[in-house]
Amino acid sequence: MFFQIARLAFFGFIVLTVLYVILSWYSRSIRRGKLETEFDEEVKTGDRDAFIKEGLARYDSSLRRKLILGVYVVPVIVVAALIYVTNFM
Amino acid sequence: MRYIKWGIFLLLALLTFGFFHYTLPQHDVVRIVDTEVRRVDFGENSIFWASPDTGTDTAANRDVRFINAVYENGRVMVYRNEDTGWGWPPYFKLDSSNLQTEARDLASTSAAPQWVVIRHYGWRNEFMTIYPNAVSVRAIAGPDVQIIPWLNIIILTLLVLFIFWLWRVWRRFKERRIDPVLDDAAEAWDSVDERADAARDSARGFWGRMMAWIGTWRSKPRE
Repeated sequence: MFFQIARLAFFGFIVLTVLYVILSWYSRSIRRGKLETEFDEEVKTGDRDAFIKEGLARYDSSLRRKLILGVYVVPVIVVAALIYVTNFM
Repeated sequence: MRYIKWGIFLLLALLTFGFFHYTLPQHDVVRIVDTEVRRVDFGENSIFWASPDTGTDTAANRDVRFINAVYENGRVMVYRNEDTGWGWPPYFKLDSSNLQTEARDLASTSAAPQWVVIRHYGWRNEFMTIYPNAVSVRAIAGPDVQIIPWLNIIILTLLVLFIFWLWRVWRRFKERRIDPVLDDAAEAWDSVDERADAARDSARGFWGRMMAWIGTWRSKPRE
């Protein structure tokens, strides 16, 4: 049983890590796009690269970015719920 | 070439449909006739059997629980009742013994029928000797019940949304990371040889662009 759980955890971890990387890249890219439009349409003056860099640094320490870690948490909760519903309800 | 493309597409669609048809839960309204346990030696059909009871050892053969049932129209169905454990498909079913007891408790005769809904996944196939795996059973008042497969609706909707999202991610990745590289490469190529114009025109489609991108890795022809 423990071997099977370890196997599930191992492959689950790999799949979720791939998802985590994709999601992180996508979210950061979206934020970068928003910063680019914000600069081009509203700020317009100053250093464009510095503005975007600063915005991304703010994003890197934001709660929104840490929420992506939910990719690892949610499936564990779903599995626990599934085990309960399938076997003990 | 067009036929090959459509053939591959059709095959993929069929495989996808088959995969989900096998894996997603379905509901049968049946009357349980009997439950039994018999030993099964797995052969070519071993992929269509799940795992031994969780916590027990794996061997070349083992005893498998079965549930024999009859539909309202008189046709029969035999379910296996196996743990899926921690493996595929992810039902996390660990309580086969309990399910067998519930099924035994609901068994009835045609004279005094007790109708039940059996939730299961998998296929019955006589040629391969494979059986759907029963996941849960519950008693119902009569055979005329409307069952809405909420779980399947939710799973398939989420799947479509996920694929759509992946497609958008891919589009964005292409736009931001691949296209600039491709454009640079195309420009460099242009300065080397005018013939690249024709190549770039043919590199418009997805495959063409991919091949053009891969082409940039190759060494340039020696003069």
